[in-house]
Amino acid sequence: MGLLSAIINGILMGGIYGLLALGLTLIFGIMKIINFAHGAFLMVAMIFSYWLWKIMGIDPYLSVVIIIPVLFVLGYLTQRYLIKPVLDAEKDVREPIGALLLTAGLSVAIENFMLMVFGADYLMAKTTYSGASIYVSGLSISVPRLYAFVATLIATFLFYQFLNKTELGRAMRATGQDRGVALLMGIDVPKVYSIAFGIGTALAGLTGIFLIPFYYAHPSVGEVFITKAFIIVVLGGLGSVPGALAGGLLIGLVESVAAQYMTATWTAILVYFAFLAFLLFRPSGLFGSRYEW
Amino acid sequence: MFAKHKSKLYLLFATLLVVMLVAGCVGRDTSTGQVKEVKIGNILPLSGAAAPLGKIGKEAREMAVEEINAAGGIKSLGGAKIKMIFADSKGDPATGVAEAERLITQEKVALITGTYQSGVALPATEVAERYKVPFFCPVPSEDVITERGFKYVFRLAEKTSWRNRDQVKFIQDMANKYGTPVKTVALIYEDTAWGQGAARGWEKYLGEAGLQIVLKEPYPRNSSDLTPVVLKVKQKKPDIILLCSYVSDAALLTNTFAEHKVKPVAFIGTSGGFADPVYFDTAGDNCEYFFDISTWEPDVNRPFSKEVNEKFKQKYGYGMNAEAVKAYVSMYVIKDALERAGSLDPEAIRKALAETHLTSGVTQMYASEIAFDETGQMVNAPLVISQFRKVNGKMERVTVWPEKDARPGWKPEWPFPGWEGR
Repeated sequence: MGLLSAIINGILMGGIYGLLALGLTLIFGIMKIINFAHGAFLMVAMIFSYWLWKIMGIDPYLSVVIIIPVLFVLGYLTQRYLIKPVLDAEKDVREPIGALLLTAGLSVAIENFMLMVFGADYLMAKTTYSGASIYVSGLSISVPRLYAFVATLIATFLFYQFLNKTELGRAMRATGQDRGVALLMGIDVPKVYSIAFGIGTALAGLTGIFLIPFYYAHPSVGEVFITKAFIIVVLGGLGSVPGALAGGLLIGLVESVAAQYMTATWTAILVYFAFLAFLLFRPSGLFGSRYEW
Repeated sequence: MFAKHKSKLYLLFATLLVVMLVAGCVGRDTSTGQVKEVKIGNILPLSGAAAPLGKIGKEAREMAVEEINAAGGIKSLGGAKIKMIFADSKGDPATGVAEAERLITQEKVALITGTYQSGVALPATEVAERYKVPFFCPVPSEDVITERGFKYVFRLAEKTSWRNRDQVKFIQDMANKYGTPVKTVALIYEDTAWGQGAARGWEKYLGEAGLQIVLKEPYPRNSSDLTPVVLKVKQKKPDIILLCSYVSDAALLTNTFAEHKVKPVAFIGTSGGFADPVYFDTAGDNCEYFFDISTWEPDVNRPFSKEVNEKFKQKYGYGMNAEAVKAYVSMYVIKDALERAGSLDPEAIRKALAETHLTSGVTQMYASEIAFDETGQMVNAPLVISQFRKVNGKMERVTVWPEKDARPGWKPEWPFPGWEGR
């Protein structure tokens, strides 16, 4: 029973990791930018969601309608006014690194700003379903984690449809595949970039909303999850939507199941070794190909 | 050009040497005649991450010194007043060493107290030992501080391993008293130096007590999910779960235990995260009936405890913690030693400290008897176990063990009643 509980928990946690990785992989797939500020945006969403719940009594799941637009705008503006100038300046550089450094710096700035405004306390929204569990013949399934998992599936499905079925989605994929040709076809590439970055950031926000009922927010909470998200993006294949979900589930399962046979310290090491092995033997990841988009 | 510089360098070195020698040799004012004040150096983390703890330690010391001076200072020194000189260690060992050096050579203090961190205490006490100046440690608990054969180091606090010892004592005591046989124990601890030290202590004392460790589970702090650890513990069904965690992990573990309805005979924490006020906010009702170990609680049943804490609250706006109590009591132990030494000679002060035997007065709030063994370690550092209980609907730390220190009218809830009806 313990093993089954561990497997279920691994799948549920894996979904959350996958949802965070989804935003990261989108930004990478389309803009070819490694976004180090992704974890900071997750943290911002968690802390906002907490305070909305604390002060105004808004259930974290309902705060979606406030936080998703806010984070989308935040992402949109970040790309438009911070990243775009750097990209433009580095247009003719073969291996541009400015955007990566910029997002890394941005993440430090956001963290310290939040630290200054909201303090370093550990915050968690203790909702009615926080800590609730479903018990099925000796198995215990955490309710908020289950909700988060369902949300991940829905978000991934909708996002996939959006990329494949809508005009904007197609424009995004085209931009991801070949920026130059997309420009010639009349796609407004800078705008597509801004929207992509906005959506990616909004997905980090969505992850934050689903985490806050059972995990603590504090200014450096992003670091707890972001490393995993990066590993997942590589495992799943850079820029692959189903890869993000599959990679997330894989990491979640490995963490949860392996921990039943070794200490948690060792499972962390195991995950990193798996990551290295993938980089060595299958650098494009599970689903990755350069023309996924 | 170069030669000129060289000669300048030599001159500089020579000057330095002379200064150092003079500073080292010039006797302190050791005559007992005209003593106006006794300078005491204090090394505390007044900035940096531990600054809040340094601040409360400073406030407790100042309150004690005010009281002592108002009551006529050190009578055997003709009513000399105590003068406190504070130095900021920033929580950094190197800074602590430099400040110890400065306090002894420049400020010519009679003795030094402090530091909050064991990491700073270790090198700073070495400096004092070299200069043969007494160094009084109220708080740092790393075992080795009083295990290096030093003659000038005294410690009021307990050793870290004593906490583990008393946790095991408590388990046996409860098992006998309540007729709940206890055989198996699970250890869950954060995987850095602090947690590993606790694990070593537990192994030693549990082994001596004949209890079986069925699970040793170190985990990285700041884990994204501790469910795997909790599920593993649940499989093993241990009688006792011993925990050593920082505040975020402590709350995450507590909530995850609740989620999976893990039900041992008892959960026992090792201060740290479990003693952090934030823990009650984040774990909420889930932490009810958990135990935690410490050296002092606001409700502890000891003379002067309530009065002093109340006075402190009036003065500074918040209550004392165990660190503040140790800092406060330390000043009275030092005062008693100075009184008996009747001189500012460090040797005399060292001897007086070693002969300390306090069984009355305000120091009762910390321990009924204060005495040091030949290593300078306080002999019976008092440890108490509190249980998180609801008092008028609010979670509080209620002292329950040992019985003589327990909050009047309260008994431990043993075994753990389970999670139903919360």
